[in-house]
Amino acid sequence: MTRARAFAEPLVATAVALALAGALLALLGADPVAALRALAGGAFGDSLALETTAVRAGPLALLGLGVALSFRCGIWNIGGGGQLAAGALAATAFATKSASDWPGALALPLALLAGAAAGALWAALAAALRVYRNVSEVLSTILLNFVALELVAWAVQGPLQEASRSYPQSDALPAAARLALFPGAHIAHVGLLLAAALPFAVWALLFRTAAGLRLRAVGFNPDAARYAAVSPELETARVLVLSGALAGLAGAIEVCGVTGRLFADPAGGYGFTAIAVALLARLHPLGVLPASLVFAALAAGGGAMQRSAAVPSVVVQVIEALVILFSIGFALPRREGA
Amino acid sequence: MPLVALRDLYKRFGATRALRGASLELEPGSIHALLGENGAGKTTLVRALYGQVAPDSGEITVGGKPVALASPRDALELGIALVHQHSMLVPALTVAENLLLGERGAEWLPPARLREAAREILTRWGVSLDPDARAESLAVGEMQRLEIARALSRGARVLVLDEPTAVLAPPEVAELLRLLTALRDRGMSIVLISHKLEEITAVCDRVTVLRAGETVAAQPLAGLDAAQLGRLMVGDALPPPGRPPATEPGPVALRLAGVRAAGLASVDLELRAGELVALAGIDGNGQRPLEELFAGVLARESGAFEVLRPPLALLSADRQRTGLVLELSVAENLVLPEAARGGAPPVFRAGIVNATELARAAADAIARFGIRAHAADPARTLSGGNQQKVCVARALRAAPGVLVAVNPTRGLDVAATAAVREELRAQARSGTAVLLVSTELDEVLELGQRILVLFRGALLEVPAGERSREAIGRRMLGEGAR
Repeated sequence: MTRARAFAEPLVATAVALALAGALLALLGADPVAALRALAGGAFGDSLALETTAVRAGPLALLGLGVALSFRCGIWNIGGGGQLAAGALAATAFATKSASDWPGALALPLALLAGAAAGALWAALAAALRVYRNVSEVLSTILLNFVALELVAWAVQGPLQEASRSYPQSDALPAAARLALFPGAHIAHVGLLLAAALPFAVWALLFRTAAGLRLRAVGFNPDAARYAAVSPELETARVLVLSGALAGLAGAIEVCGVTGRLFADPAGGYGFTAIAVALLARLHPLGVLPASLVFAALAAGGGAMQRSAAVPSVVVQVIEALVILFSIGFALPRREGA
Repeated sequence: MPLVALRDLYKRFGATRALRGASLELEPGSIHALLGENGAGKTTLVRALYGQVAPDSGEITVGGKPVALASPRDALELGIALVHQHSMLVPALTVAENLLLGERGAEWLPPARLREAAREILTRWGVSLDPDARAESLAVGEMQRLEIARALSRGARVLVLDEPTAVLAPPEVAELLRLLTALRDRGMSIVLISHKLEEITAVCDRVTVLRAGETVAAQPLAGLDAAQLGRLMVGDALPPPGRPPATEPGPVALRLAGVRAAGLASVDLELRAGELVALAGIDGNGQRPLEELFAGVLARESGAFEVLRPPLALLSADRQRTGLVLELSVAENLVLPEAARGGAPPVFRAGIVNATELARAAADAIARFGIRAHAADPARTLSGGNQQKVCVARALRAAPGVLVAVNPTRGLDVAATAAVREELRAQARSGTAVLLVSTELDEVLELGQRILVLFRGALLEVPAGERSREAIGRRMLGEGAR
């Protein structure tokens, strides 16, 4: 019964949010059916729309996975955006500066690894502050977002700026460090396979390993975990670093698979949308796959809705907010208990 | 006609049938015992009476008229009040402020008038408390009496107390029982849930016994002795009260020498293999730091702490806070200590769960300790007794050389208590060094081969020739302390 509810509630939340959005569109004087049809068309209407949705869903899934993992351990990692930026920066630095020193086959794996390591390191700063100085990770991860953004902004105008020095962007990544596109695809790259596979790996980690059991125990009841010889400090530090690695990997995949070079704001709005993804997924690692598709589709379809139904794409942000609100509303405990 | 009657209540929580034909009739001017094993439905029944649980079917009448109790507010309006085991007072407010909190106009009263009004209420109900004392400075028993006075001042005629004495020291128990008797004589109707049969026989007039959600007896208490009551509750004869195990102590298994820590003055203790040592004492004399020391949570400041026959397993006093992770399943709770530090075989191999071994571990524990639950049930859904059995099963999974049990039967029913005590004896017989830390004198006398008393963070030995409640009681109050 509870399992069925876990599946049904996010669907209902999304449906109710879309229905309310329709009502809102009608109030704005637009034709809600046409507008929502344009939204769906922009997200799923043709192969390019589908690819756009998938490409946007990839980083959301990885970031959302990291958020879900850390929330489960009672850690509020709000810094996915910053960790993604750190990952994108490291992957770019490696690919443009030293990939040529390595055999071609290693360039891409090492670039992705550099991204994951940098994301992990960025999160490790917050973990160390928490373990040794008792600084709330909510504050440190949020603030480190700004530091990471400034760092990237500096890098693309400084050491990593393109050779021609015309724009604040890096050189294009060498082909050896690029993620290939799927055969016949316009933009969908094989990095999406990683984003699709890692939720299953994290699911296995959470529910089929000693580490996962420790992590969940700490999230639910750190006192009891401590009495069972599990160190909450160590577990929270680990999970924060792992969640940072996932975000860093997402950043590396973005530069190696989508943008091909580093720009000033690699995270875009992904960092905070990922929190919504994790909440809609009920913090379940497999739930982040459909949840990331929902938010990616809203983003991808929003532009189409604006163009063909003459509805401001701000409405899409309203829909996103409604999905989150209803999703959280359903997740709250009911009044009557045992 | 009864003042309040609950007739034939049914209530189901998911797959659990908490109530199936439970009834309770309360007369004015009587103390009514509500008896039953853990999980028999006592708490659900009184929560139905207090409007916190809506029964699926059945009838509740007050003064003969059927009523619908949708919330505690409805219950309070009809004069029904629940005295919580854990205080619902505002710690930073004074006794007087807590008493009058929420009363119309009370917030505008000058302090002197407020104090006067509070003093009048306290005197009227025979509760002696300083109106100016802050609630947080009160002892647990004083908080309870304050809550009772508050309920009475708001017109309560029916008072429900859910295991009020479980958290009290012996003198406070006596004080509470005196207050309840006095209120009974003034016409109040009181429901007392307790596992302590001697308290029930001392003050109660009638008894209602629940078994598996059903009322199996409702009768005057006169003429029933403790053994008969216990039989009504569990359905068959109780095992006779046990004796300490007759084992020969072996080599030293645990040694504490001059251990000092926050809350522990200086603890010297030698525990031998096969020995069952009982540690008595009034709560607050160092039980908690001692437990934390054994849990490895509290660092010692000086002294030696040696476990010569490892591992040391701890049965913690608070099974819901430090014993179990309530959201995890029974099986996961059983193996949680094995998951620490990378995971120990056979349930974990290279850090990965072996599902067959995990299922076997859970099935073994469920069968051996008679845990009424499935391996995949969240620990939260188990009754207190079954939760404690999970804790016991977990502590023994490690095949400990030293077993420390802190208040292991607190809040358990008669049958579960007997099972836990027998397990401690069996452990000692099989060569484990067992340390029982208990605030219950009877338990200490029943189980301890040697008896020590914890007083202000240090240990006092009770000589073998002086094994009596009285001799232990004197030391609990500090006689013989350095």
